[in-house]
Amino acid sequence: MATTDKEVSELVKREYEHGFVTDIESDTFEPGLNEEIIARLSGIKNEPEWMLEWRLKAYRRWLEMEEPDWAHVGYPKIDYNSISYYSAPKRPEDMPQSLDEVDPELLRTYEKLGIPLHEREKLAGVAVDAVFDSVSVATTFKEPLAKAGVIFCSISEAIQDYPELVKKYLGSVVPAGDNFFAGLNSAVFSDGTFVYVPKGVRCPMELSTYFRINAANTGQFERTLIIAEDSSYVSYLEGCTAPMRDENQLHAAVVELVALDDAQIKYSTVQNWYPGDENGKGGIFNFVTKRGAAIGKNSKISWTQVETGSAVTWKYPSCVLRGENSVGEFYSVALTNNYQQADTGTKMIHLGKNTSSTIISKGISAGKSSNAYRGLVKFGPGAEGARNFTQCDSLLIGDRCGAHTFPYIESKNKSAIVEHEATTSKVSDEQMFLCRQRGIDPEQAVSMIVNGFCKEVFKELPMEFAVEAGKLLEVSLEGSVG
Amino acid sequence: MKSAPTLSSAFLQPAGEFLPGPLLELRKQRGTALVDMPLPTRKTENWKYSSRHLKLSDELAASLPSSGKEGSSLALPGYRVIFRNGVMVPEASDFPDMNGIRIQRFCDLDDQEAAALAERLDNTLDSHAVQMARLNSARFEDGLLIQLDKEAVLDQPLFIVHEVTASSAGSAYPRIYVDAARHSQMTLVEEYISSGNEPVLVNTVTEFVLAEGAQVTDVRLTLEGENVQHIGATGVRQAATSRFESHCVGFGGPLRRHDLQVRLEGEGAECKLNGVVVTQGKQHYDNHTSIEHVAAHCDSEETYRNIAADESHAIFNGRIHIHQDAQKSNANMSNKNLLLSTGAEIDTKPELEIYADDVKCAHGATIGQLDKTSLFYLVSRGIGRREANTLLTMAFINELVEQVPVEAVRDAVQLRLNDFFNQAFQEI
Repeated sequence: MATTDKEVSELVKREYEHGFVTDIESDTFEPGLNEEIIARLSGIKNEPEWMLEWRLKAYRRWLEMEEPDWAHVGYPKIDYNSISYYSAPKRPEDMPQSLDEVDPELLRTYEKLGIPLHEREKLAGVAVDAVFDSVSVATTFKEPLAKAGVIFCSISEAIQDYPELVKKYLGSVVPAGDNFFAGLNSAVFSDGTFVYVPKGVRCPMELSTYFRINAANTGQFERTLIIAEDSSYVSYLEGCTAPMRDENQLHAAVVELVALDDAQIKYSTVQNWYPGDENGKGGIFNFVTKRGAAIGKNSKISWTQVETGSAVTWKYPSCVLRGENSVGEFYSVALTNNYQQADTGTKMIHLGKNTSSTIISKGISAGKSSNAYRGLVKFGPGAEGARNFTQCDSLLIGDRCGAHTFPYIESKNKSAIVEHEATTSKVSDEQMFLCRQRGIDPEQAVSMIVNGFCKEVFKELPMEFAVEAGKLLEVSLEGSVG
Repeated sequence: MKSAPTLSSAFLQPAGEFLPGPLLELRKQRGTALVDMPLPTRKTENWKYSSRHLKLSDELAASLPSSGKEGSSLALPGYRVIFRNGVMVPEASDFPDMNGIRIQRFCDLDDQEAAALAERLDNTLDSHAVQMARLNSARFEDGLLIQLDKEAVLDQPLFIVHEVTASSAGSAYPRIYVDAARHSQMTLVEEYISSGNEPVLVNTVTEFVLAEGAQVTDVRLTLEGENVQHIGATGVRQAATSRFESHCVGFGGPLRRHDLQVRLEGEGAECKLNGVVVTQGKQHYDNHTSIEHVAAHCDSEETYRNIAADESHAIFNGRIHIHQDAQKSNANMSNKNLLLSTGAEIDTKPELEIYADDVKCAHGATIGQLDKTSLFYLVSRGIGRREANTLLTMAFINELVEQVPVEAVRDAVQLRLNDFFNQAFQEI
């Protein structure tokens, strides 16, 4: 794959220039974590007593927990007392006032990704005209949702307005004691999304964090709770293809999905946080716990993720298939470049009869990165007739990267069937030769081949997203050929 | 937090003072390193499924006496060495008398030979991964050193029968070290059997070092009784163009654990690892294999099949690690499992860790049960249900049993399998 193209070598050297601005504002907590901080946090959000209790309980549990070290990633030890656990959303006057003030590199990336102009402003953190925002969101989205009876708001609002629902479901899928990062999140979660789809309702549109005002400022400890009542359907979209400006290095989010009888939840994520520079300096640590409980009969939970950002990713969107005939799906593309490290995969826990799950995972590693798939497929004794199919493929681009597979398969039921297969390959010289012979430059050829490799996952994404995801891979892979 | 249980100091009092000085010294060193060694718990990744079956009570710490009556074993067609409770029984053994092949028990080595061996013992095993093998190094009372000179070819398989006589509770620590020089060839059969009914621990280590072009086949047959906890480790290091073949056939027990670690260190080396595990009752069998592709142009092929009946538990953990310079590696791993009853459990974890890009690696794993249509096909043609089940189950592992290159072992396996089928399909 040797090429002397000047352009390519320039690309290799190119840096992801837009840095991070850390403005210490007056209403930011001093670093540190203790019960008082949590009480203050809860107080600012005007939370009811039970919520504070819940947080404190989680905090006490967390103190006894140890940070997991089994993942195939390495990062400097995090001092949890050096982090500030609350920062008020930025005031409009502190934000860049127009796109002219935004890093041109970032703008070029938006251009390549084909992001509409007004969205660019929002993504770059430009103080968006409040009128435009509220009007468009309210008229275009809020009304039909309200008409259908769908609740779509921030979790803080939900705690105030729908305490019964929150009390019932918060922590029911990912309990505070589940793991170290989930515990931390439970104690200090800043904000997040709450979705409730009532019985028999098919959510009239794809829900996305970006349709919600202030969604971009949910902070580093995001908490999402989605409840789909009997026979309902919702598709939720998180993240975006454009690189996100973000000031927090550690992200520990928790996402909980609850699907009741015949309900269906489709959760798509595109994550492109700052991955650090080409020497592996900086970048976001993304330690996320995502889990869906398919409680109801015939319910279905489907995770689709495209992960290209973050310096370190630790993320295992899972399904607990409790209901009879419930279905779990996991489609993933994880791309790492430079010094990025990803340890990601899924857990499919089959408890109910005739439950089935599909796992398609595509890992692409380039540069000096490390990309691991870690999955668990488990059949309980009651998982009569359960079925799983797993396919995880890795593609290596360059001889200094790593691709790993750690699948755990556990079966306690004789009528359950599981099939797992994994392959590792590289972009072959033949493929490259074929493309180049037809006048396709090496960068484009690699991107074409990679896109083909990921096709099975992209087809699961909502349509507009699939197109963007393809372009995203292209941008993320820049500089890895040669 | 509760502190993890540690190895009882009773286990660090080795017997058998007949070993030459350098080996006694080595034992002492290893023993010192094990003081307060934390025992594996459920949180210890490579003992995740088996730690609760490991029961190292103090009564097991005692060394079993090296005398006792001989138990039953294979009909042995060729050369044989009998070990009883980890100590060789010379009068029952029949050594090959051939040029270029030296077989010595550790107790017979002179100081110089022993010092050379002490230097090399444990070098094939990753101490971190197989901590329990260090217990063997601290306790072995005898052992067998097999040295093949350049181009020496052992004309018949060498049988090593490891017998434990469990007339009292205790433990045994058999040890084998094989050093195969350039282009030498041999086939080794390790058979583990037991007699008596008292609780016993067998902690065994076998090491192979293959020089350029050497070819070694290791057949391992684990047939011990329900009173025996068996923890074994096999370490292999391969130089360029050497070939190692392993055939492990194991029947379950209260705890059976085997760690097999192969390092392909020279270009063009290849290994083939086959394994069959059959468990029933409340038995437990845990196989951990690791193949390290250190050099370029190496091939590895691994096939393991587990059958678990009743309330038994079978585990496979296979790891393939391709190092950064191991370009053009070829690695294949397949693990298929048959779960015959809902009380039984199978856990499998085929791992790949890859740091080179120009490689072909694949693994596959399945867990399932006998195919209903195949059963129907057989039954509809007048074959009884029990027989049909037996046929299909046998077919599931036959491919691997047939590949065992020693007829006597194949026969012994078939006999045990027949017993197994009779019990497993009794009620059909």
